[in-house]
Amino acid sequence: MTFAEARPRFVGAPIRRLEDPRLLTGHGSFTDDHAPPRCAHVAFRRADHPHARIVAVDTEGAARAPGVIGVFTAADLAPLVRPLRATSRMKEYHATEILALASDIVRYVGQPVVAVLADSRYMAEDAAELLDIAYEPLPVATSPAEAVAPGAALLHPEAGTNVLLTRAFTRGDIDAAFAAASVTVSGTFRLGRKTPAALENRACLAEWDHARRALTIHAATGIPGVLRDALAECLDLPGTRVRVIAGDVGGSFGGKGSVYPEELAVAALARKLGRPVKWTGDRMEDLTATSQAFDEIVTAELALAADGTMLGLRADVLGDIGAGSIYPWTAALEPVQVVSFLPGPYRIAAYAARVRGVATPKSPTGPYRGVGRPAATFAMERLVDLAAARLGLDPAELRRRNLVTAEEFPYRTGSGLIWDRAGFQESLAAACDAGNYAALREEQAIARGAGRWFGIGLATYAELTGIGSRIAVAPGMPINTGTETSSIRIDATGAVTAAFGIAAHGQGLETALAQVVADALGCRIEDIAILQGDSALVPSSTGTYASRSAVIAGGAGALAAREVRRKLLRAAALLLEVAEADLDATDGIVRVVGTDRSLTFREIARAVYSEMGRIPRDRREDLAASETYDPYLGTAACATHLAVVEVDPETYHITIRAYYVAEDCGRIINPLIVDGQVQGGVAQGIGAALLEDVVYDGAGQILTASFVDYLLPTAAEIPPIGITHLELPPPDNLLGVRGMGEGGTIGAPAAIANAVADALGLAITDLPITPDRLFRLLASGETA
Amino acid sequence: MASRTPGTRRTGIAMKPAPFRYHLATDLPDALSALAEPDAKLLAGGQSLMPMANFRLLRPSVLIDINRVAGLGALAQQPGGIRIGALSRHATIETAALIARAHPILSHAMTHVAHPTIRNRGTIGGSLAHNDPAAEWPMLVLLLDGALTLASRRGARVVAARDFLTGPLATALAQDEMVIAIDLPDSPPGTGWGFAEIARRHGDFALAAVGVTLRAKDGCIADPRIALTGVGDTALRAGAAEAILNGQRPDAVVVAAAIAAIRDVLHPMTDLHASAAYRRHLAGVLAARAIRDAWRRAGGEA
Ligand SMILES: Cc1cc2nc3c(=O)[nH]c(=O)nc-3n(C[C@H](O)[C@H](O)[C@H](O)COP(=O)(O)OP(=O)(O)OC[C@H]3O[C@@H](n4cnc5c(N)ncnc54)[C@H](O)[C@@H]3O)c2cc1C
Repeated sequence: MTFAEARPRFVGAPIRRLEDPRLLTGHGSFTDDHAPPRCAHVAFRRADHPHARIVAVDTEGAARAPGVIGVFTAADLAPLVRPLRATSRMKEYHATEILALASDIVRYVGQPVVAVLADSRYMAEDAAELLDIAYEPLPVATSPAEAVAPGAALLHPEAGTNVLLTRAFTRGDIDAAFAAASVTVSGTFRLGRKTPAALENRACLAEWDHARRALTIHAATGIPGVLRDALAECLDLPGTRVRVIAGDVGGSFGGKGSVYPEELAVAALARKLGRPVKWTGDRMEDLTATSQAFDEIVTAELALAADGTMLGLRADVLGDIGAGSIYPWTAALEPVQVVSFLPGPYRIAAYAARVRGVATPKSPTGPYRGVGRPAATFAMERLVDLAAARLGLDPAELRRRNLVTAEEFPYRTGSGLIWDRAGFQESLAAACDAGNYAALREEQAIARGAGRWFGIGLATYAELTGIGSRIAVAPGMPINTGTETSSIRIDATGAVTAAFGIAAHGQGLETALAQVVADALGCRIEDIAILQGDSALVPSSTGTYASRSAVIAGGAGALAAREVRRKLLRAAALLLEVAEADLDATDGIVRVVGTDRSLTFREIARAVYSEMGRIPRDRREDLAASETYDPYLGTAACATHLAVVEVDPETYHITIRAYYVAEDCGRIINPLIVDGQVQGGVAQGIGAALLEDVVYDGAGQILTASFVDYLLPTAAEIPPIGITHLELPPPDNLLGVRGMGEGGTIGAPAAIANAVADALGLAITDLPITPDRLFRLLASGETA
Repeated sequence: MASRTPGTRRTGIAMKPAPFRYHLATDLPDALSALAEPDAKLLAGGQSLMPMANFRLLRPSVLIDINRVAGLGALAQQPGGIRIGALSRHATIETAALIARAHPILSHAMTHVAHPTIRNRGTIGGSLAHNDPAAEWPMLVLLLDGALTLASRRGARVVAARDFLTGPLATALAQDEMVIAIDLPDSPPGTGWGFAEIARRHGDFALAAVGVTLRAKDGCIADPRIALTGVGDTALRAGAAEAILNGQRPDAVVVAAAIAAIRDVLHPMTDLHASAAYRRHLAGVLAARAIRDAWRRAGGEA
């Protein structure tokens, strides 16, 4: 660690987000804000059948409609763009193709079938209505249970099955563990299907530069580097002639973390037509054709000894992956993570689990804030509460007895994950302290006496963040997700440009990275321009997802900044004729320690780049460096959530009375940003617990195609959240930080489910829990 | 509700309206003559019309903007009642002193209609003409025995709310007719009110909502009125329950009988947000609460 970083000025400080002035005053620059001349606007005519053969497409009427530039089907695009295939090293995995437009078969309502290009989006939609597409409906198996049944209609006949992936994990002697148990608890849990619902819908704009024979794509994406690589491949262009720019991006939550058919189509069409082509998704397109999330059926059983020691965990998970794999994550991302994370932060010797991902005619599932862990945590934390009730133990006490303790790290879970170290026990204690757990239980007893339905729910989870190159973020995925590169330079004016491959979409990463670089380099935040969200900045990057950017890009930024600082000090040492060790850099000024002699970055830069002769020619070096960081392993992050709910005994309306989060994200780069991420994540978790549910009917039609039916939490549904940050020894990565962008979403569904179950004495197995579901549960008389 | 749910199947995929012409009406005669064109639609707050047009569930030939028609948004005290201009915004009703004095239930109920930005635009005329089965306005006007003045080039007529609300998204309006004003007779002095609503989220359309007015006379209920929304094809009055309450002390037995009578006549729908059974249950719970609140406000002893 360098001298400057030992006394961080910016890391840890509550610095207001540098992005906010432009975003909050309408000066952001989103994909749809770009309006190049002669732009063609795309409306996609999308499948209104869940599974059907395309018999004929009559484009005549549409082609003749006012303002129409062209009408394109899969056959037109086939020679222009190759399909994408998310391959996997997983043994039992069937990759499926991603086509720009559906060819021959449609596999979900909302899949793009025809692209209509016109002078405006209005005209394109008018023309799209005139298309006549003849379909021959094919049989559908919409529920996972139907889809796995023998003889089910196959969505991808070439796979020979709807089960596109299977994986099993075993550790220890599971049968012996259950045989030795004095208590077993079990349940079948389902966290509903979710959609990311970012504020900005997906969008892309492709421009073909005739002079350079090159494509520039502006896209609302979190993975510009992956998109660049995919387009180069599919369009058969070298990377130098494809550039993907993700300017301001209005949220993703995972929905903008994959490569989509629309991006392939728009890029291919811009190249073909030699003019700009833009598609801005509308909300209905977003709700029907952006990757969806969760939707696993988790059947799990936990074995415990009489003293509450967890002995073994068994699980069978059936994930409804939708129509097929998405790129680059494959269809395994979400369901396999459920099984990977199911044992959670607990010490469990024996584990046996199987997961299957089954194809159904629905929009494919993909990354969503928390990936796999929300469903895993929901199932596991329900089991823990069920076990506590059976054992007559307080739920907090049962957790305390089984959470991995400080001495046991690094701890290898039954699924093979390694928890390096994190405050599992400490988070439980801190959440209980913050909420005054003992007093809450007393308040509950009094409330119950008065006939009120008052419940307290805990959830403790652990997750793996900032994952290095040893394992892929998605199991078996063949692309490297473990490294990031930062390229930093001080230019001739002394200003600092720090470029990264990552692509922020609301997280405040420009601010966090500027804090890291400013400390490592010894300058002020305002001396630095952070560049990111552009595939041309660094040779390779996979972008922003999976709570990795602070850990990995932050690490790369610190490495590169340190190298630039070394060069800067070498130059300053020559100029000042002192030893490098006597120099220190702060606030953009290099000082000779203990004297009043100094040079500003600007003066040093001028000497290096302009004032030839001041530094000997053979000692002159650019004040620039590019470094790549690979944390190799991942780092554990964890939290305990404590929810207090009250349910109206007559209307079954659920009110969250209080909510606490105690979390360990290691060293905090910016407490304002960390708090914002926790709050936003909890809000989404509350959505999953109480409101959000993507619904398809038995015929495969989506019923939640607008915000009338897909309900997001609003400010009115989100209680104040009491957040405690644990200050523990930081993890062993370059900055000592843990990823924390997703945690809020992971703990909240479980904590709320446990609190509602506690309030009612009901077996809560399905989320979201709605007043109507409670009414029907109570009517059916089921109890825990 | 099915009416508000644009399944992709029915709409194709569209979020931009089909082509239409726009006519900014300068005055009432201008609006009414423009409205004589087939498939013409009035544009008031646009809070229901524009989403439907964007989904291409509505394809008006011409949109007649009535927002500049002078006097259409006036509130006035008249002999025997108040007159609310059809273009009065929900936000105006929520905050107007005249309303708070004459019918405080309206000021309160408006806080359940959507969100402030929508209330700034949405109008009473638009809500009644749209007649969403879970909207508050149809229920409130029915509760308060309102009457609507409708006008067309052919002349004007007055229609009682109970005759106006004919079914889900359906009213007695002829294609060329416009709602001009709503008359609400003054409630007798001492009238108490109760309003109870449950929605999935605050501001969503009601899963069930109940409005009640009554007076306390010699320890008994007088002139009870009960109306509900969200629990049937359109807002409705609970006549049988009103009869049960009338002249009775609101004790547990009487209220239970009234609730049973309410649940008996309801035919709620099942949709993604709630089952018919839950809506029926909820209607009873909310009615009991609204009756209790109305009784308390009317000065009836507990
Ligand atoms: C997100 C959201 C939530 C909402 N939640 C609620 C809610 O909880 N409760 C609720 O009641 N409403 C709710 N609404 C609807 C809102 O109250 C609308 O304002 C209302 O339904 C229609 O009023 P408007 O003035 O906007 O009418 P417009 O949308 O302009 O018109 C609606 C219909 O009425 C016709 N029309 C308008 N004015 C007249 C007139 N004077 N004479 C004849 N026909 C006319 C139009 O031609 C059209 O057919 C919500 C709306 C939104 C967008």
